[in-house]
Amino acid sequence: MLGRCFSVLVILSFIFAAATGNLPALSGAILDGASKAVTLSISLLGIMCLWGGIMSLLSASGIISRLSRLLRPVLVHVFPHAFKTGVGADEIVACVSANLFGIGNAATPLAITAMKRMQEENKSDTATDDMVTLSVLGTASFNLFPSTLVALRRAAGAVDPYAVIIPIWITSAAGCIAAIILSRAMAPFTRGHHK
Amino acid sequence: MTETISAAVLPSILFLTALIALFSDKNSFDSFLSGAADGMKSAAGLLPSLCALIVAVEMLFASGFAEFLSGALSGVLGAVGIPSEIVPLLITRPISGSASTAAYTELLDKYGPDSMAVLIASVIMGSSDTVIYVISVYFSSVGITKTRHAMAAALLTMIFSIFLSSIVCRLFFG
Repeated sequence: MLGRCFSVLVILSFIFAAATGNLPALSGAILDGASKAVTLSISLLGIMCLWGGIMSLLSASGIISRLSRLLRPVLVHVFPHAFKTGVGADEIVACVSANLFGIGNAATPLAITAMKRMQEENKSDTATDDMVTLSVLGTASFNLFPSTLVALRRAAGAVDPYAVIIPIWITSAAGCIAAIILSRAMAPFTRGHHK
Repeated sequence: MTETISAAVLPSILFLTALIALFSDKNSFDSFLSGAADGMKSAAGLLPSLCALIVAVEMLFASGFAEFLSGALSGVLGAVGIPSEIVPLLITRPISGSASTAAYTELLDKYGPDSMAVLIASVIMGSSDTVIYVISVYFSSVGITKTRHAMAAALLTMIFSIFLSSIVCRLFFG
C-alpha cells in the first residue's frame, strides 16, 4: 500500500515535471525531502520517548486500566476485538483520551504504542479490523483547541479568531463518527485478504 | 477559557506522573525509562518510510502537478458548493502538514480571515489531519504493509468533513 503510494507519487511527478520542463526543480526537492524526513524523525524521537515513558508509568500504576474499564461499554463497539480480549485495550484508551483532550503530539506516539501491542498478537503483515479503525480515527483527530490555527487567524487580524472553534468541534465530532462507521462498515469487504 | 484549560492539560499529566512515581512502592521511574526506550526505538524505526514518503511528496509539489490539479478541480468543486479558492488547501491537506499550512496562510493573506472561503478553510484545517502521513506512520511502525481499507476509509472521511465544513460554516456565518 505505502509502496504503491510512493511509486504513484514519484512516477506522476517525474512525468509531469519532464513534460513541463520542471526537472531541475525536482532534484532540489528530492534532497530537501530527505533532510526534512530526518528533522521530523528527530523531533519525533524526543516526543515518543516522553510519551512512551509516561504511558508505561501510568499503566504500571493501574490508572489506565481503571479508565479503560470506564470507557469499555462505548469502545467495545468501536474496537470489538481489543476490548473483548483486552489486548491493546489500555493503549487504545490512552490514545483516544489524548485525542479527546487535544494533547499536542501525544496521539501519534500513543497510537504507535497501541499498534505495537495489537501487532504482538496479530503477527502478520496484514492490518486487523481494530488497527484500521484506530488509524482512520487518527486521521480524523478531534481537536479540542486548535492553537496553531487560532494563532494564524489572530496574526491575520481576524475580528474573532475563536469564531471557528464551535464549527470545528461540530465537524470533527461528526468526522470521528464517520471515521468509525466507515472503517467498521468497510471491514467485511476487505477481510478476504486477511488470513 | 478553552485556551487556559488546554494549556494546563500537559503539565497536569506530568504532575500526576511525578506524584505516582514518588508515592508508589514499585520502582516507577524504571518503568518510565523502559517505556521511553521503546518509544525511542519506534521513532528511529520510522525514518526509512518517512524518508520515502516525504521525498515523494516534495517531488509532487516541485513538479507543478499540484497546481495543475488545483486548476482542473476548481470548476468541479465550485459547482458542488465548495469555494474554488480553497482548492490548493484541499489538495495539500491530505499529503503534507507544512504545505497545507502554507496554503492556508496564503488564503488568509489573499481573502482575509473573515471571508466565507477562509472560514471554511479554517474549519477544514481544524477538523482534518495529514491522512497519508498518519496512515504511513501508524502502519510502518509495526511493519504492516497490507493496510486494507484504511486509506480509502480515511479519504472518504475527509471528503465528508470537507462537505460538512462548508455546510456548517454557511449555517453559522451565512
